[in-house]
Amino acid sequence: MRFPNFLPSPLRRVSLPRWGRAFAALGALALLSGCEWWSMNGHQSTIAVEGPVARNQLEVFYVTVWVSVVIFVIVGAVLAYAMVKFRAKTDADEHAQPPEQSHGNPLVELGLIGASILSLVVIAVPTLKSIWYTYDVPADQKANAFEVTATGYQWWFKFEYPSELASVTPDGATKAPLVTGNELVIPVGRPVRINVRTVDVIHSFWVPKLAGKVDMIPNRANHLWLQADKPGYYWGQCAEYCGDSHAVMRFRVIALEKKEFEAWVADQSQTARNVAPLTAGTERPKVQFASLREFKKNEVGITQKFDVNPLEAWRAHQMPDARNENPELIARGKELFTQKTCLACHQVRGHGAAGISAPDLTHFGSRTTLAAGLIENNPEQLRRWIRDPGSVKPGNKMALAYERIDHTGKKIDGIKLTDEEQVALVAYLLSLK
Amino acid sequence: MDLAKSAHLTTEDHAPAAQPSLLAHPSAKTGLMSWLTTVDHKRIGFLYGVFALFFFLVGGFEALLIRAQLMYPNGTVLTAQQYNTMFTMHGTTMIFLAVMPLSSAFFNFIMPLQIGARDVAFPRLNAFSLWTFVAGAIIINIGWFLPAATHGAPDGGWYGYAPLTSKTYIPKHSIDYWIMGLQLLGVASIAASLNFIVTIINMRAPGMTMMRLPVFTWMTLITSFLIVLSFPAITIALVELMMDRNFGTGFFEVSLGGMPILWQHLFWVFGHPEVYILILPAMGIISEILPTFSRKPLFGYPIVVFSGAAIGFLGFTVWSHHMFTTGMGTVATAAFSLATMCIAVPTGVKIFNWIGTLWGGHIMMRTPMMFALGFVWMFMIGGFSGVMHSAAPADSQQNDSYFVIAHFHYVLIGGSIFALLAGIHYWFPLMFGRKVSEFWGKLSFWVIFVGFNVTFFPMHFLGLNGMPRRTYTYDPNLGWNSANFIASIGAFVLGIGIFIYFAVMAYTYFKGEKVGKDVWDGRTLEWSLPNPPPEYNFRVIPTVHARDAWWYEKHHREEIAKEQAEHAKAEEAHGGIHMPFGSIWPFVTSVGVLIGAVGISAFNQLGDPGTEGYWRLAIGSFVLGPKLGLSVFGALVMFVGVYFWSLEGNEGYHLHLDKDGNPVKDGHGKH
Repeated sequence: MRFPNFLPSPLRRVSLPRWGRAFAALGALALLSGCEWWSMNGHQSTIAVEGPVARNQLEVFYVTVWVSVVIFVIVGAVLAYAMVKFRAKTDADEHAQPPEQSHGNPLVELGLIGASILSLVVIAVPTLKSIWYTYDVPADQKANAFEVTATGYQWWFKFEYPSELASVTPDGATKAPLVTGNELVIPVGRPVRINVRTVDVIHSFWVPKLAGKVDMIPNRANHLWLQADKPGYYWGQCAEYCGDSHAVMRFRVIALEKKEFEAWVADQSQTARNVAPLTAGTERPKVQFASLREFKKNEVGITQKFDVNPLEAWRAHQMPDARNENPELIARGKELFTQKTCLACHQVRGHGAAGISAPDLTHFGSRTTLAAGLIENNPEQLRRWIRDPGSVKPGNKMALAYERIDHTGKKIDGIKLTDEEQVALVAYLLSLK
Repeated sequence: MDLAKSAHLTTEDHAPAAQPSLLAHPSAKTGLMSWLTTVDHKRIGFLYGVFALFFFLVGGFEALLIRAQLMYPNGTVLTAQQYNTMFTMHGTTMIFLAVMPLSSAFFNFIMPLQIGARDVAFPRLNAFSLWTFVAGAIIINIGWFLPAATHGAPDGGWYGYAPLTSKTYIPKHSIDYWIMGLQLLGVASIAASLNFIVTIINMRAPGMTMMRLPVFTWMTLITSFLIVLSFPAITIALVELMMDRNFGTGFFEVSLGGMPILWQHLFWVFGHPEVYILILPAMGIISEILPTFSRKPLFGYPIVVFSGAAIGFLGFTVWSHHMFTTGMGTVATAAFSLATMCIAVPTGVKIFNWIGTLWGGHIMMRTPMMFALGFVWMFMIGGFSGVMHSAAPADSQQNDSYFVIAHFHYVLIGGSIFALLAGIHYWFPLMFGRKVSEFWGKLSFWVIFVGFNVTFFPMHFLGLNGMPRRTYTYDPNLGWNSANFIASIGAFVLGIGIFIYFAVMAYTYFKGEKVGKDVWDGRTLEWSLPNPPPEYNFRVIPTVHARDAWWYEKHHREEIAKEQAEHAKAEEAHGGIHMPFGSIWPFVTSVGVLIGAVGISAFNQLGDPGTEGYWRLAIGSFVLGPKLGLSVFGALVMFVGVYFWSLEGNEGYHLHLDKDGNPVKDGHGKH
């Protein structure tokens, strides 16, 4: 096997034996097949799309890919041919008379410019069509569209349903638009128009399987639309750098059939659930489980089990887990929620907490994740969060309420929670279904 | 130090006795003072190169830390804040402190040689540009060495989107250093660019018409225009941001009715031409190397030049393609989408012409040519993913994902860096009279080439699989694990390649094979010079008869020899070779700028103008405040520098050469 002279000279003399070549080929094959580096079917894939908007964007992308590949193959072949064919192969070649000192060929060049422009037209036409299609809900479906307002906060998402009114007081006399946090539930098969807003810095709303991103910019009323083909559980993430914890500012979109969606809205529109006190004679667990184990730095908070069927996991979260509920602990947690000033930022409709600067927790227990889609909503992870929110999401406001360092470098103490208090709060929060 | 002692030899005979010693012209030819006072474009170019390569290694180290953090999901090498600082500084460093100054090194060193000039038009301004660049680089990096809680290195992204960079969200001084550092780099770049423009327009050798300029010089000219026209936009944006942060204005403050989107427009009106500021010099270098090693002229020279100009011009019309996801509306999105596609045409033309240059040539596979061909291949890939971004709907998925990272690293490493590395290899023999060994050169090329592709090719897939940029961590269940792992391995291979490259370069500088003049059988005027080129560059200012001036000379030796003898006589009759004096004042001025800028960026926030005692505090700190005192002191030093700079005048001295080309002492004083 002769190596060409673009390799360093001693390497040219190296000749791989046949078994060596076979081994190298096998190795390459193993590398290719053994890992999934080229596979693009993850939770946030822009290729394995599941809605018309993302599909339309993907089709435009494929047009650009095909045009690029065709041109690349042609130009690349010519370039490769020129590199091989006109290479000076020997020293004599290099010292030969220089080739003809030609300066160019206008016809060839104009032809190539024309061809480039033509191939761009192939890309331009679907691009323009798609710009208009993806911008807003098509006119003929406007009437059917469902409207949601998504607001970015450092570092979580608020979702508001302007058309769905929820009870603020238990008697239902006062109503306000339904608000949830970090998990957006939408109906299947209907266009969903999402107004994107922000209260602080720029964020970006991105659910890759459903639609491309649109930025949430202060002082700017942006919107996007998307639609889910079938019921599903979709991963979303902030896509504009927004400070310390940008990487962990995530959210979920849950798409449900009409009936299930309506049931969910009806359920969420209620005020927060109250757990009945212990009746004499019933046996209930004394302490609700919340593991005391230490978590590693930046430890994964989502289990493999959850990934198998996240939509089912979501459904399971909607039902109260009566077996594990300890009413005394929950009552203690409810008290602490006020005592420890949680209610200054969080809202729990019907429980007297009306804060607006942090996620609404009225139906917190019905969500699959917490800390903006970052970790699973279970007692263990919730306690991890309540105990030291800064270790999960660096710099977040809740962590700053626990302890912060002012501009002179001085440490300022805030909320302190004992183990017992943490467990009680966990019990209370998880009871909010 | 006593400048009088190091005064130039001519002052001994001819300086007016009354001249104060401060104004004596420094004449040191070696040692530290010779570097601080130099106005020689080659030495300034060399210094630009040294600083740029240093920051290239710093930026590369930051990149390796980023890849170490992302090698595995939920990495713990860096904290969130460290990671954010790292990607901000990696971008800022590579763009402003590595690639731009490295291009500038070549502009300085090579461009005057290519047009047959003895120096740039304003040698002292050139020195000022260099030292102000260094001052800017220091300020941008100063936060590394200060307390992280209140100062720290910049962490708002290299593009510093408002309102994240406001005092509300980043109260630390890190952003203030970023602002002042970029301002100084802007001053340095604009001063240097004006210098290059004036030089290219006015100081070409006789017969060097515009359409005979080497393509690298053309790209220097176009890049310089881009810098002069685009930097004011970011200068304004940075001033506004500084006012917002420190003086209570509301350009980007939402609570005061400001518009954060305005920052994005101002930034990208600068930022997109900036991309071409990074790539056009690279294209110029490639357009020199390919013809030399194909031993034939550049195919379609006029079209290559005009397409370079077209890219520069169109570069100002496409800035909003960085903002396709900001909800600009259908018409604006469509317009910027189409304008962006148009850029593919002049870019494609360049590729076609490079292939045309190879076609029918005698291609000599030397190390510079390897990097140049690597450039063409990688730049093609980067170009195609660029076309994919131009389709706005596709971009709404790719924007701010790893697909974009893959794209611009193909353009900036596969493009700019490959070309600059090629340029170092190509001009190294001219600069230092030594040549890198082909074995080690090619080995470093292949390690870099493989490492680069292993790092960045999987990132296309990561982006399409939904991995967003600027994220310090990711979960293992998203299908990004192996691509990230491979990319990190590739990054370390790339790091090894770069290490080999520089180790070999350092070895060659001291111990490499010595070579004679015109080692590559070059085509442009710089190769007519002995290596390293003498201080005065050209013994006789050449007369240019054809586009590839030196190639023509080599094939018309007798005619040229006769002509040069006549010119030498004529020049001697006019007093000999005119050389500019060195000067310390540009350096002093830059030091003043540095001190002042540090003072301004560390300036304490006074609170809102409305609050009680604001003006008292403001006036008080202006007079007494230690921080502002620093700014005042810096301004004084700058003033002293500028004052003596203008006072010492722009004289030079004359050199006379003996038969062997050695300078003899001037006997005719200053002119």
